[in-house]
Amino acid sequence: MAAGIYLHVPFCRHVCGYCDFNTYAGMDDAIPRYVAALRADLDRIAAAGPRALAPPGAEVAGDWPVFTSVFMGGGTPTLLAPADLAGLLRHVRVALPVAADAEVTTEANPENITAEVVATLVDAGLTRISIGAQSFSSRVLEFLDRDHDPELPLRAVAQARAGGVPSVNLDLIYGAPAETPEDWSSSMETAVAAGTDHVSAYALTLESGTTYAARVRTGQQAAPDDDVAAERMAVAAARLSDAGLRRYEISNWARPGHESRHNLNYWRHGDWLGVGAGAHGHWRGRRWWSWRSPARYSDAALAGRDTTSGAEIVDEQGRRTERLLLGLRMISGVARDRVEPVDERQVARLVAAGLLLDDGGVLRLTDNGRPLADDVTVRLLPA
Amino acid sequence: MTYPLERIRNFAIIAHVDHGKSTLADRMLQATGLVEGRAMRAQYLDRMEIERERGITIKAQAVRMPFRAPDGQEYLLNLIDTPGHVDFAYEVSRAMNACEGAILLVDAAQGMEAQTIANLYVAIEAGLEVIPVLNKIDLPAARPEQVALEIAALIGGDPEDILAVSAKTGVGVPEVLQRIVAQVPPPRGDAEAPPAALIFDSVYDAYRGVITYMRVVDGVFRPGMEVRLMATGFHNAIDELAVISPEPLPIDALGPGEVGYFTAAIKEVEHARVGDTVTDHRNPVGTALPGYREPTPMVFSGMYPVNSDDFPGLRDALDRLRLNDASFSYEPESSVALGFGFRCGFLGLLHMEIISERLDREFDIPLVTTAPNVKYEVHLEPTLLRDGEAATRLVSNPAELPEANRISHVLEPVVDAMILLPSDYVGPVMQLCETRRGVMKEMDYLTEERVELRYELPLAEIIFDFYDKLKSSTRGYASLDYEPAGMRQSSLVKVDILLNGEPVDAFSSIIHRDKAYEYGKRMVNRLKELIPRQMFDVPIQAAIGGKIISRETVKARRKDVLAKCYGGDITRKRKLLEKQKEGKKRMKNVGAVEIPQEAFAAALSVGGD
Repeated sequence: MAAGIYLHVPFCRHVCGYCDFNTYAGMDDAIPRYVAALRADLDRIAAAGPRALAPPGAEVAGDWPVFTSVFMGGGTPTLLAPADLAGLLRHVRVALPVAADAEVTTEANPENITAEVVATLVDAGLTRISIGAQSFSSRVLEFLDRDHDPELPLRAVAQARAGGVPSVNLDLIYGAPAETPEDWSSSMETAVAAGTDHVSAYALTLESGTTYAARVRTGQQAAPDDDVAAERMAVAAARLSDAGLRRYEISNWARPGHESRHNLNYWRHGDWLGVGAGAHGHWRGRRWWSWRSPARYSDAALAGRDTTSGAEIVDEQGRRTERLLLGLRMISGVARDRVEPVDERQVARLVAAGLLLDDGGVLRLTDNGRPLADDVTVRLLPA
Repeated sequence: MTYPLERIRNFAIIAHVDHGKSTLADRMLQATGLVEGRAMRAQYLDRMEIERERGITIKAQAVRMPFRAPDGQEYLLNLIDTPGHVDFAYEVSRAMNACEGAILLVDAAQGMEAQTIANLYVAIEAGLEVIPVLNKIDLPAARPEQVALEIAALIGGDPEDILAVSAKTGVGVPEVLQRIVAQVPPPRGDAEAPPAALIFDSVYDAYRGVITYMRVVDGVFRPGMEVRLMATGFHNAIDELAVISPEPLPIDALGPGEVGYFTAAIKEVEHARVGDTVTDHRNPVGTALPGYREPTPMVFSGMYPVNSDDFPGLRDALDRLRLNDASFSYEPESSVALGFGFRCGFLGLLHMEIISERLDREFDIPLVTTAPNVKYEVHLEPTLLRDGEAATRLVSNPAELPEANRISHVLEPVVDAMILLPSDYVGPVMQLCETRRGVMKEMDYLTEERVELRYELPLAEIIFDFYDKLKSSTRGYASLDYEPAGMRQSSLVKVDILLNGEPVDAFSSIIHRDKAYEYGKRMVNRLKELIPRQMFDVPIQAAIGGKIISRETVKARRKDVLAKCYGGDITRKRKLLEKQKEGKKRMKNVGAVEIPQEAFAAALSVGGD
């Protein structure tokens, strides 16, 4: 069984307009204390053991399983000093049992990736780097508030390769109103030419409470168009497949063997620890999340207190719903026996509408169904 | 003991909404000493919550005020407060018939309004002594001389003689009371004759049963007397006999000319109808008082619960509303699109709004209300009649109009409309009436600035937004009143709306042939905006018979996924999808097309224009 560890770094040099992750700009002074808090929280969680995380009464072993992946996300993890980041990766292995061949990923902004950073992290066990390129068009980057040069991600990929990172991902965002069809095609070409092992391509989404949402409300920026997004997704699917990157999830493509084990564990409804401000975790049907405020999180962690701000125990129907909503995202689909009962009348309608495949054992989305995954999920939920 | 006839004065107040009727009534209560200043609450007589909020009177009320006149004698003044809206014209006429006099109260700034004139004509027809009074003379915008001229032009008399008051401050109110004593004739009646009284209002009370307001014409009513209501045949003993002064005051006899109420364990207002005659069951009058008529709904609409589970609740609610409002009708019907509901008939649009609002407010049942329509008289082609089929039928639901080829001709209800407006706006108003298929009957200049226009208009043309359009084309200065004027043959067609090739009954409408194309196009465009994108393309068409007159397509939805979904907040995502599932359950399915209830409601709300 796979199990993951997620570490959250809630700091950025500046927060991009579209981003609704738990991240803060201008709080660099809080970073050292936060790094110490992450270490303390890891120690506390490790000592408490898995029974403290699982639903009360669940049959759970007292010992930790061997973790198969570690993921540093943000925010911008590479805003931390390379030595601090490396120290955290090492500390995870001290606190918890992590497999020798575990996938160890960090997210990174292209401007932070230097030979020195790469060398330090690889030395600390890093196996995968996920570079936030977003686009190779300067007008799209400007729309997204990204402040890097479009050429920068290419140099970052080269640095990672040269530094011996075994697996390199590029994160891309399509469907920004400033993006032309040519912009997106050329972003695809550039990503493929860079020789990346993995591409995550996400549709720009208007999240409430973001600067982008406020700009849309006041007419300063346009909202993304769903039809355009569907078009771009189809272009990505065609171009990346041609380049030998296999799609394994709605938004993710990889060369064989380079699929993200950490993310697969999410989609397979696996268990993971979430450590850090606003991080979510999941253990055997119990979900919990920590204080969103870095200061509040740090206070609790450094005092040795529980950092959990909320939790829920998901009932059996809720778990089936989760397996369905997550499982349908994978190209391999979801086994019926993990999600049944489903609304069989809707299965028939969706199959007839060309959105769903049903071989009696597995439910899978078609290419047309993938951009409609949420609607399909809603329809399949038992009435 | 009954009150001596010669010292009774029964009167009503005729006024336009906002012209200060309720305020004047309040001041009268104070001027007669019936209510102390500090016990006064605004609009003492308007008891229903909706009435108070809208500042209008829906139900009639009556209040008895003993008044010592300057001659030293005590008089009994009965103020019968009448409803003020065209929808309740019949109720107004009954209340007027219970009086001998009427105060014509006119806002000195606004001048005469169509509704006031219509009610004035009712008063004149009922033979009432009319006392004109100018109100709001303390307002800076008041132009009392001019308005006095308008009044004199209508009812004659010397403009100089018209009383002027400020109901707000109470100035002039005692003079009005004295004028009532001096000018309104006392009622006539015979205390020895078999009892007869006119019902001018009845109100349901959950504890005492129906409270029936009456004006005694002949004879004497006493508690315990077994009374009979002549139109319905209901009879029972009087439990409580009382007057309102201004709180209920039990009384042991009510004689000729007097006004009061009784209870007699009457379960619903249906049994005690406005206009009916009350008599002594053992000593009845030979003939009922004249003027009774059954309420006739003019405007119809389908009412459907948003959640089909609420259907039994809606039935109960309508049953209960009917207990205190016998003037609306309802019968179950079903719609392919909306499920089970009721076809309801109302006296007019305001009446319809009041009922919907009460359903919402008192029973908390969310409703989809279909666009209002009138009742059509459909004459079928004699050669195509089926066995046993009647040659004419009444249709109050457009979906039930027979196929076009079987129809010989259709009649629709028309009204005589009176519009009162400043002369500057005659052009735009005539244009509005023409586009609404109006036929001009008369144009009168009351003064140089004020014009009375009379049009015959199809009722169907004025029930949607005619009044709003009239107001906006005259900057709010025009007023409207109308009364039924029979049926008129007209070139009408049924426009059907088809979704994905299937007709949606709730959207069918009966429209004049010349406007059908425009209507169809507007509905199709409207629906295109309102219907969410589906899994497949959905054509929306408007058709007359089999002929498509307009078409649009709602393109299939291609993407809805929140693409970003890893780690993170699965809880939020799951709850979002669960909520969407709940939303799906509230969708109405028309064939394979899913339509949110709100879209239905929004589409139906634009029926007219």
